[in-house]
Amino acid sequence: MAQREYIRLTRSHARSGLAVIIAWRSSLWLAKDHLLCVDTNGYMENYKRFYFRDIQAVSIRKTQRALYWSLVLGGIAAFCAVIASIASPGFDVFFWIVAGIFFLLLALNLLGGPSCVCHLKTAVQTEEMAALNRIRRARKILKRIRPLIESAQGRVETGQLPALMQQLARGELSFTPSSAAIRIPADMQPRTNE
Amino acid sequence: MKSPLVHCSKCNTALVDGVFNLPDFTPCPSCEQPLQVEVFPALFRAFAPANAGEAVMTDGEASCFYHPQKKAVLPCDGCGRFLCALCDCAMDDRHYCPSCLEAGRTKGKIKNLQNSRTLYDTIAIWLTIVPVLFFYFTFITAPMALYIAIKHWNTPTSIVRNNKLGYVVAIVLASLQILAWIAVLWMIFTD
Repeated sequence: MAQREYIRLTRSHARSGLAVIIAWRSSLWLAKDHLLCVDTNGYMENYKRFYFRDIQAVSIRKTQRALYWSLVLGGIAAFCAVIASIASPGFDVFFWIVAGIFFLLLALNLLGGPSCVCHLKTAVQTEEMAALNRIRRARKILKRIRPLIESAQGRVETGQLPALMQQLARGELSFTPSSAAIRIPADMQPRTNE
Repeated sequence: MKSPLVHCSKCNTALVDGVFNLPDFTPCPSCEQPLQVEVFPALFRAFAPANAGEAVMTDGEASCFYHPQKKAVLPCDGCGRFLCALCDCAMDDRHYCPSCLEAGRTKGKIKNLQNSRTLYDTIAIWLTIVPVLFFYFTFITAPMALYIAIKHWNTPTSIVRNNKLGYVVAIVLASLQILAWIAVLWMIFTD
């Protein structure tokens, strides 16, 4: 059987926190030499490729978003449960069902674990990975792609890092692509079609 | 000019030391947000100066199609024209001239240059499912879905799930809806 070109790393997740149906959703896929970020709105897909040889850094920042969602969902569920317990027979069933739905959403949110924002840096961009919005998932994916990046680039020894970062901060190590623009001599200008 | 340093995603402070390649979160030195940053050698890689190509030294030596003064180093994998080092665009272990690269991007021939695709199979499926809620619309939408599915049968769908299942489902559902309409109309006009 032919090997699949892309392996799914994450399911699609909404780019915006409140987006439910009509929104751009983002998922992450693994190819042999790059990560593919797929943004879709249902009838169109946009692709961003991050080649392992180009990835400079991955940063994960812990956020409180999952906690806030837990408070909101828990509050609504508790409110509905209180209303259901004092409502007249007939109405109470409706409120128990609504409370149950919000408890289920709360449980799913808690199961996902703490939330985070993950960014991937290359020489020319810093891109937010919307699909990596939970710490557990982000670390799992990072653990999976780290050997692939290291096999493409090698690895930085932890002991060398402080010195390298200081050199980078002083501009002694690398220079940006804009400063490395290729200058084409006059005698090498592309010829036009006659 | 874009800074080569890694920045905190909250306060945008350039991170210089103390937060890199650690197993757990460390507070940002500026905003104290918990951060875990993994850096790789590409961050410290200097960009090699572009190879401008060697000049042709002797008559009869193969020269670049685009720069006749420069020595050819390899042929384009797309059109076969000779290319100098400057015109050589390497992509997925293949070498293209700038024209083939541009043509590959616009015509979708080089898959890894495509950065968007329209999902005609999904559009066709939606056209068969959503109008069912307002049944009369299917009189128009079912033929539309069938037309889209057949017209775009050979159009590539998603890069990550490239199969014809969506088209098949849309064709089956649209055909059933059209048959249902034919039956309804036949019953109306034969009574």
